[in-house]
Amino acid sequence: MSSPSAPGMEGDLRTRRVRAPRDGRPTPAPAQRRAPARRRRTHRGERVLAIALVAPLILIMLLIIGFPLLNTVWLSVQNQGVIATPSDFVGLDTYRQVLGDSTTWQALEKSAVWLVGNLALQTVIAFVTALLLTRAGRWSRITRIWILLPWVIPTVAVAVIWQWLTNGNYGIVAKLFGGVGLDNVQFFADSTWAMPTLIVMNSWHWFPLGAVIIYGALQTIPEDLYEAAKLDGAGAWQAFWHVTLPLLQPVMFALGLVGTLWSFNIVDSIYLVTRGGPGGASTTAPVLIYDTAFKAFRTSEAAAMSMATIILLGLLAWLYIRLAKPEEV
Amino acid sequence: MKLRKTRLGRRHGLLAVVVAMMLGLTACGMGSGSGSDDKTLTLWHMEQPPNRVKAFQKLIDQYNATNPDYKVKQQVQDWNQIYSKIAGAVQSKTQPDILFTIPDFTTYVRPLGSVRPVTGLVNKLDKEHGFRDVATEPYHDDGEYWAVPLYGMVQMLWYRKDLLKRAGITSEPKTWDDLLADAKALTKDGKTGIALPAGKNLATDQVIYSFLLTNGAGRFFTKNGDVDFNRPEVVETFAYYRDLMKYSPKGSTNYSWGEPQAAFNSGASAMTVEKGQYLAPFEEEADRPASDLGCAPIPQPTGGQPGSIYYSNAAMVMSDDDAKAKAAEDFLSWLLEPKHYGEFLNAEPGLFLPQTEDGMTAKSWTSNDVITKYRDCVHKMLDQSKSGALFGFVDGQYIDKIGNISGQNILAQVIQKIVVDGDDPASAVAWGEDQMKSAVSH
Repeated sequence: MSSPSAPGMEGDLRTRRVRAPRDGRPTPAPAQRRAPARRRRTHRGERVLAIALVAPLILIMLLIIGFPLLNTVWLSVQNQGVIATPSDFVGLDTYRQVLGDSTTWQALEKSAVWLVGNLALQTVIAFVTALLLTRAGRWSRITRIWILLPWVIPTVAVAVIWQWLTNGNYGIVAKLFGGVGLDNVQFFADSTWAMPTLIVMNSWHWFPLGAVIIYGALQTIPEDLYEAAKLDGAGAWQAFWHVTLPLLQPVMFALGLVGTLWSFNIVDSIYLVTRGGPGGASTTAPVLIYDTAFKAFRTSEAAAMSMATIILLGLLAWLYIRLAKPEEV
Repeated sequence: MKLRKTRLGRRHGLLAVVVAMMLGLTACGMGSGSGSDDKTLTLWHMEQPPNRVKAFQKLIDQYNATNPDYKVKQQVQDWNQIYSKIAGAVQSKTQPDILFTIPDFTTYVRPLGSVRPVTGLVNKLDKEHGFRDVATEPYHDDGEYWAVPLYGMVQMLWYRKDLLKRAGITSEPKTWDDLLADAKALTKDGKTGIALPAGKNLATDQVIYSFLLTNGAGRFFTKNGDVDFNRPEVVETFAYYRDLMKYSPKGSTNYSWGEPQAAFNSGASAMTVEKGQYLAPFEEEADRPASDLGCAPIPQPTGGQPGSIYYSNAAMVMSDDDAKAKAAEDFLSWLLEPKHYGEFLNAEPGLFLPQTEDGMTAKSWTSNDVITKYRDCVHKMLDQSKSGALFGFVDGQYIDKIGNISGQNILAQVIQKIVVDGDDPASAVAWGEDQMKSAVSH
């Protein structure tokens, strides 16, 4: 049976050409039998070359991802206190301890609020902004450039800006709230307001990225589709619902997935402003892990929490993919 | 042709494997001693403000100009990163030769290994310059000194003389009752009497601890080293702090170091409790003459005692190599000579206080503009230092797990439970004791 693939066929012909006897007699059977063996050798050589070429990358990945991950797993089954100090193997005791502690579950609850709040707020703001940016006009053009400003500001500067904005003595936001009779709002200092204010702050910081990505995706939707929809009698809302949204689904899906993982793991924004306070009101799982490792010096517990979080995030991502994967349009 | 290609492929494969192995070996080789120079002493410190780094560099340049065998090089670190960084550095044997420290950080670093006892040097320097007890005690454990004291920091009550005068208050508050009454009287027209931190941070820990000391509640451990926090005087102090918080700005439950100082300098608050960093920027930031800045010892309750948190900042020697360790000790000895010591302290005049007797009178320190201008306050700070203490190191105690308590800001968390969650001080302190027990049990 002849090989259907062109390269294979070419190889056979070449082999025949090389091996064909000058007297025109038929090619001896042993040579024919050797050809597949040579092909195998060729493929093996190519495979070795391919493996060797990616080997450095795999090696580096193993070093920078695999090793820390395995180290975390190993740490999580020990009872290490201060980092790098002697410890004993305790099996799953650390996991039992961590998962039996209500603080862990409270932190996961806070993480859920943080995640849903950020995803919802950022998606809405980014979507609205992207739609506004598609409008023709001078302001739209200018805004397309300046919209990225909050995103390029370093997180530490964002934290300082928002702390000053909401400062009870001289913050403009605090003054504006005071102007409408809400002068008792203590944004980052009140356990009721701290988390919502942090979500607003973080969304303000990150929404431009989403807006620019959605704006880019909007530009790829052919104008013809809108014209066709218009000819079919579709209004602006129907065009948005039946044309824009379905075509944006793949981008929104990817943005949602990356955004979920990204938002969940944020520590810096929270830590710089409230350190998880007041009264633990903004202690999300990553903040608790950081505090456990570097403030309480309970390294193994932090490692166990990290592993639990990795598994949880993996499940979350799997669920998200199962439920939100876009259909082919 | 095919055969040649196969051989070529195999050769490429082998070549690539060799290159990969070489890359791997190169990468492994880069790990050890990257860029390290055998004749360089690396100094890590966490004094990040540019003026401090610049002043340190000036001194280091002076020292290096004396042609020592080992030249000093400073590397600025972040307090938030240093815990993980030093652990990694010790593991990979790339730790600095000299590492600045505070007492509770030393308890964290020592178990990592690499910290050398400096008893001989401390005793020698004590003979030459006269260390204050408050400077050396927190570094004494297992019969050895583990760091060389360099500079002290102590808290005071700072007040705006102009604002107190305007409110008809003629004398500085000396007792808890005075302070509460003054804070109340000064809270009007959108201004507050006192700015206190109550965020979950070290700033809050420090201020509440100063008040605890004045109420005789500064010792959190029994003689056996067991946690003994839940005591009436502790509860009383937290209740007092809660009462004072009524006259602190809105948002104080998220305050750290910067906010009270900003409120104080802007005139939004008339009093605050902090260390000597208030001196140098006062005139410029408050736009008021230096004479408007008042300072007083931390007020005491009836039957109380003088007290204030005192941080003895020091340097640990961590060189693996004996010659380098000796060179590190030489550098620290040079730094504590009175003619250089003042320059070192004036990296942050007013905040960095001398730890030696001859340092207190060294011209290189006293001639500084800030020290001269606020001489009265500087003397009060030195006086307050005599009653200074730090939790975990009171009355000669050395609690080697104190870092687990200070790292978690348990004192600040107790305050937050009271002023944010509305818990009563007794139950919040009981909760604090449980947290402390849990912290030291790990």
